[in-house]
Amino acid sequence: MAQTQPQPANGSGQNVEGPADGGFKLKFCTVCASNNNRSMESHLRLAAANYPVISFGTGSLVRLPGPSITQPNVYQFNKTSYDSMYKELESKDARLYRANGILNMLGRNRDVKWGPERWQDWRVGIPRLEHAKDQGSEGVEGGVVDVVITCEERCWDAVIDDLLNRGSPLNRPVHVINVDIKDNHEEALVGGRGILDLADSLNKAAAEERKLNPVGFDSGSASSRSSFDERVPEIIGEWQERWPNLPAVWTLAWF
Amino acid sequence: MAAPMSVDQQIKLLEEARRVVLNDPNYYQQIIQGILPLIDPRGKGEPQRDTASKVELQRWGAEFLAETFASPAIPPQQKETLCLTVLEALRSMLDDPNQDNAVVKSVVQTAASIYPLVFRWIINNSYDNQSWERIQAIKTRILQIWDTAAPGTVGPEANAMRGDPMEVSLGMVPPNHSSLIPRNLEAEASGLLDRMLGIFQESISDAVLVDATLNSLAILIRARPQVGNRIINVILNFNPLKQANSPMTPKSRVQIKSMEKTTRLLLVNINKRDPQNPLAGRIQQYVERMMRSRNEIFDEATRKRGPPEPTDGLDAAKRQKLAQMPVPVPRFNVPPLTPGPHTIAELFTISAEKGLESFDVSILPEHIVVQIGITILQKLNADILNQAIEGVRKRYTSMQALQPQQLNPSTFPLGVEEDDDDYDPDFDNAEDTEQILNKLDSAPPPVIEEEMAVKAPDIAPVNYTLPPPPVMTLEEVEQVGQGTVGRVFGVMNTLEEPGKKTKAGLNRLAASSCDRDDWITIITRLATRSVAGLEETDTVKTEPDAVTPFSLSNTIRNSLYLYILEDFRKRIDIAVAWLCEEWYNDKVQMKAGEESVLHYEKWVVKLLDGIIPYLDTRDKVLTRFLSEIPGLSLEVLNKVKELCKDPAMVNLALTSLLYLVLMRPPVREIALDAVEDIWNTYEDAKPIAAKYLTKWRPGFADRLKDKEEEKPATPQGITT
Repeated sequence: MAQTQPQPANGSGQNVEGPADGGFKLKFCTVCASNNNRSMESHLRLAAANYPVISFGTGSLVRLPGPSITQPNVYQFNKTSYDSMYKELESKDARLYRANGILNMLGRNRDVKWGPERWQDWRVGIPRLEHAKDQGSEGVEGGVVDVVITCEERCWDAVIDDLLNRGSPLNRPVHVINVDIKDNHEEALVGGRGILDLADSLNKAAAEERKLNPVGFDSGSASSRSSFDERVPEIIGEWQERWPNLPAVWTLAWF
Repeated sequence: MAAPMSVDQQIKLLEEARRVVLNDPNYYQQIIQGILPLIDPRGKGEPQRDTASKVELQRWGAEFLAETFASPAIPPQQKETLCLTVLEALRSMLDDPNQDNAVVKSVVQTAASIYPLVFRWIINNSYDNQSWERIQAIKTRILQIWDTAAPGTVGPEANAMRGDPMEVSLGMVPPNHSSLIPRNLEAEASGLLDRMLGIFQESISDAVLVDATLNSLAILIRARPQVGNRIINVILNFNPLKQANSPMTPKSRVQIKSMEKTTRLLLVNINKRDPQNPLAGRIQQYVERMMRSRNEIFDEATRKRGPPEPTDGLDAAKRQKLAQMPVPVPRFNVPPLTPGPHTIAELFTISAEKGLESFDVSILPEHIVVQIGITILQKLNADILNQAIEGVRKRYTSMQALQPQQLNPSTFPLGVEEDDDDYDPDFDNAEDTEQILNKLDSAPPPVIEEEMAVKAPDIAPVNYTLPPPPVMTLEEVEQVGQGTVGRVFGVMNTLEEPGKKTKAGLNRLAASSCDRDDWITIITRLATRSVAGLEETDTVKTEPDAVTPFSLSNTIRNSLYLYILEDFRKRIDIAVAWLCEEWYNDKVQMKAGEESVLHYEKWVVKLLDGIIPYLDTRDKVLTRFLSEIPGLSLEVLNKVKELCKDPAMVNLALTSLLYLVLMRPPVREIALDAVEDIWNTYEDAKPIAAKYLTKWRPGFADRLKDKEEEKPATPQGITT
């Protein structure tokens, strides 16, 4: 949390801190397959750092490990709450699910939001006022984000494919970045740290752009300054040097 | 607004207003009317503010407008009326030459959203020239910005321009419309499209721009088929990996990867939506080629140090480089040998350097020698190699010509002393042989020594004969045999899984297409029609406990058995093919000889034993296996019967048996017997078994009835 001091308020020079009226903040969205482990770990991390954040899964169903590899526990997206999953698995075999970390994970998740949401069912731009209790919901009431971070290349592909199919009705650019994280608890923790670092780097650049004093701004020299969008590849490149084990892919897509 | 509020307070208020409309879109009209004066750069009716606060407010307002007109929560009709009210404000915000980047971005976004709305409005209300002029002015201004602005803002603009004039179909414009002239609009749109696609032809591609454009093209290709092919063609001629030749920085790496992936995904998306499109084939090729090149560039670059690999001809960029610098082939001179006797090492030494000559290669570990050898062969110019071979060949022929003289037995001295060469294969080998033979006590050592005496000086190539191989012990034979079988199976894993099956008919030649299937055929035949003498000869029909002498066939069989069990669901074909061969072999053996050992039955049972524990209640494998193997015995059926011990498997066992009853008339009776046995033995199986029996065994129904009547008296009454 300490890493992300809200940027000093721009222009007016007032130092407001806290999520309500802090400095400029990019809005994030994290995505993995089941919206349980990796995306939720990073959702929590970004939310704890006061970023507006929502999260989704791209799978057809929520799949959690079961007693054997062929018997996963399967749930519906958008209809099952983390809490009900928690209770069901606890009654099934509390020892097993405690030992493999599933209960722990679900316990964390139910404190973050109600239940797993599916990317493909997300209606971008529809207000999300009913999600006000979710962690990180402050700032994403409008139902759009600036950056989507996926945790697996498969999910990135699904997101891009879905956005292409939607045909960009909102005319709004969105950076879609994949950070490849293996689907286990340990890697999710490491990946969550990496994603927070990435978010900090991106947000710093975006806030800098807005902080530039517009008074002396001369449109003739516009090309000499790099805008935020333009800096993104560079930021990811630098970030990749710091996190060589989390291979990244990026594109600029449209909502 | 009595006292001037601080910007933050004001924005806070505005946020509250925003919440209201997010909750209920009906208030948009009022709210927008309220905020327009705040964001108007001319600042009418507002207290004079410093520029920073003004920009703050404008940013908020522009963002709010962008959100409003993009929102799917507001019905289009409402947006249509709203949009006319904001046109003027948008225009004045854009006109400010010192406008803040973020504001411009939002305004452009808004303009992109409202353009189709205004267009539709104009179509239906041709009198409203004023609105049309306004939106035209906005459009012109955006195009101007596109010319001058930093790429970052252009990104969204590229999308704003995304064939917007075409967004609302021109077909809707009545031909006599006063202000809209379809021909002009069409030309304008086509010009814009050219400009967008020009991005792909520019020498320096900016990933932000390229990605943004690519990602916005999908809808255009879909909605406007008449320009779709043109767009796709431009993309197919675009090479996102072009810049990968120069050294990559972390940034350019991200950019190149991104452009490649984005291009690929767009094309895949196009093909997925419309697999029948005329360009599908070319798209497919492009996608595959991109993936290969990408893998070469990025995987090789990240790999630290690996075995050197042959330059891949697929990468056009690399190939060009090679073609540009043809390496002149130097003449290579192999000095002829001096007259007189020579060692083999000398014969092959073509280096003039003394130090290198005296280097003993045998001190290097084998794998390094192999690695060096492969590397050299890959790097070596074929011309030079040929020259060297030619040189050595010349030496050899000249030596051969001299040979008769040198080996004249009367004049030629025993060459042992003269030959201080390190190459003396006989000596070591002879000792080895000697030791082994001593151990086995089967050959007198003197013979070897004599041989040695004769062989040792024999360096001249012509007269050299290999020493006899050491006699192997049984264990060694077995070990080597198993090694051979292991390798035979190893080959199989390197072969590809057969792709599509083509029916070749009866006249095909087995094992002629070199895939995994063929190799299996070879293996099964190796196992079943084994070489004479290696076959076991005990006439006692294979006791499992007896130590069977090594048999190549059985080792292969065992490996085959294990191979099938590894993945029996997939390899059941192999099992059937193999068992057919076994069955056939048994028949042939029975016909031919007295001492034949029968294998078929044994391996069927063994396989079944192997499979049964892993069967799943709905596995079709068992049914298939039973119906396809060439012979069924009672023992096999007994195994199936035993399956019914597990209530979950009852259905499976009975279905398999029913299938036999239906499809294999020769075994129908014994299969029915088995069903009846099951009916007798297993309580869980009774209902289904009874159903089958009633249908297939005449008279069973009556007996069943009888039995039910006497049930209280004799519970397990019926026997067959």
